[in-house]
Amino acid sequence: MDPEFEPKIIGFLCNWCAYTGADLAGTSRMKMPPSIKVIRVMCSGRIDPLFVLRAFLRGADGIMMMGCHPGDCHYQKGNYNARRRYVMMQKMFETLNLDAERIGLWWVSASEASRYVKVTTEFNKRIEKKGPNPAQEEIFM
Amino acid sequence: MKGTTLPVEKDLNQTLIDFLKKGLESGGFDAVLLPSRVPSGDSFAYLLIKNPSLLEEATPLPPVMPVQGAKAVSSLTQYGKTNQKILAAMRPCEIRAATELSKLKQAELENILFLSLDCPGALPLSDYLENPREKDKVFQEALENRKTESMRPVCQVCREFSTTTGDLHVGRWGAEKGRVFLISSSEQGKKIQETMGNQGDQSVDSWESKVKELKEQRLQERAQFHEDLKTKAGGPDKLLEFFNQCINCHNCMRACPVCYCRQCYFDSEAFDLPVDDFLKRAKKKGSLRLPTDTLLFQLGRMSHMVHSCVSCGTCEDACPMDIPVAQLFSLVADQTQKLFQYSPGRNREEPLPFSVYKEEEFHEVETPYRKTYSKGEGKNA
Repeated sequence: MDPEFEPKIIGFLCNWCAYTGADLAGTSRMKMPPSIKVIRVMCSGRIDPLFVLRAFLRGADGIMMMGCHPGDCHYQKGNYNARRRYVMMQKMFETLNLDAERIGLWWVSASEASRYVKVTTEFNKRIEKKGPNPAQEEIFM
Repeated sequence: MKGTTLPVEKDLNQTLIDFLKKGLESGGFDAVLLPSRVPSGDSFAYLLIKNPSLLEEATPLPPVMPVQGAKAVSSLTQYGKTNQKILAAMRPCEIRAATELSKLKQAELENILFLSLDCPGALPLSDYLENPREKDKVFQEALENRKTESMRPVCQVCREFSTTTGDLHVGRWGAEKGRVFLISSSEQGKKIQETMGNQGDQSVDSWESKVKELKEQRLQERAQFHEDLKTKAGGPDKLLEFFNQCINCHNCMRACPVCYCRQCYFDSEAFDLPVDDFLKRAKKKGSLRLPTDTLLFQLGRMSHMVHSCVSCGTCEDACPMDIPVAQLFSLVADQTQKLFQYSPGRNREEPLPFSVYKEEEFHEVETPYRKTYSKGEGKNA
């Protein structure tokens, strides 16, 4: 593990739960890794597999997808759709022998600032151990 | 399933033509959609035929598949359903793709009847164009000897070669010499047989058992083929190598029957970026390939349509660089479709995997929630 390595992680956070949760963590001055670049989406169901692929192939070290807990979606079913897409993506990565562990899905509610901190810290550690995404060096990618 | 038998005197094409002619004349259907040889003689196109005498020129089972039949059906029903009965004679993969398009609201299949057949596979298009006359013979021979070596790689390991998703099916397997089965695979198919005065209630058990046997063998070959491909193209380096020749022409996307979007994301302005963006990326890596994102196109297209992929191989035929795209897509398609127990084109009523969900499924991918709380770690978890 390279002590100098600071991962670049893209987080797709749903507006109603995860983003609010992250916001709460910030306003509560909780300690969390600075490596996560948050992109707010209106719903986790909005996360096209392409967003994740694009981030991955452009060299993001990790990609986090976060949404409301099942049953809590602001749009009733967006997170269920997100879960199906995520499962498909995982299978695709696995089949093509790409590093599926660089992608993750979590449910974080608006009040769960501590859970947000916990999962981001854990994921950040996981990526630190893995090192940089090899796609960063690929000229022909 | 039940059916009747048809005599094969000259060849299979002639038998099919005779049947279609009889059907058109007796009013079983009002028009026929099927492939015909183009006047120059070196390719095939779909024709919508109303005049029975023009059927003589048709080729219901062409050696290649330059246009995927589902595209023909889709273009036919752009403005909604037809009021006349159209019988479309196609390969099983074309019918399955048409079914997928109907789910995606890109085709209206009411009043369209499908005649499928035990598909021998199709020759690679680029091979065929080099010497059409010679290849016609190769195909005829392969058809008679039931060999698949000269067919496209995806056809050689196709598991849906005898899938009866249409209304009528022509079965070659297990039939007596000089005859083929004509199986009614739907109520409408039965009706056509009745209108034409065929005795459509004979047993087709010998066909069914032979298909079952062949399918088992094919499934094994397919699994082996995919296993080999996985070692050949798996991993970031090998995957990049696999697609390295891609010239970003998007032919695969345009030829693909289930890639239906009017405006593809990859043709959109999402990739029109200011030059500074490219320079920044080039600085980071040292250099940047242009046009950018060829691998993103391939994998992105895959993520968008792979659950509807019928492994028809049209993308591979369309590739000017001969990248075996269809093989890789069929590998990933098999895996991802299995997740949702989905088989594209199996049933018109079966919803697309991304259009439905269940509340209780795939919990294994979620980070446990209730569990954390019940263990008492919940207070700050």
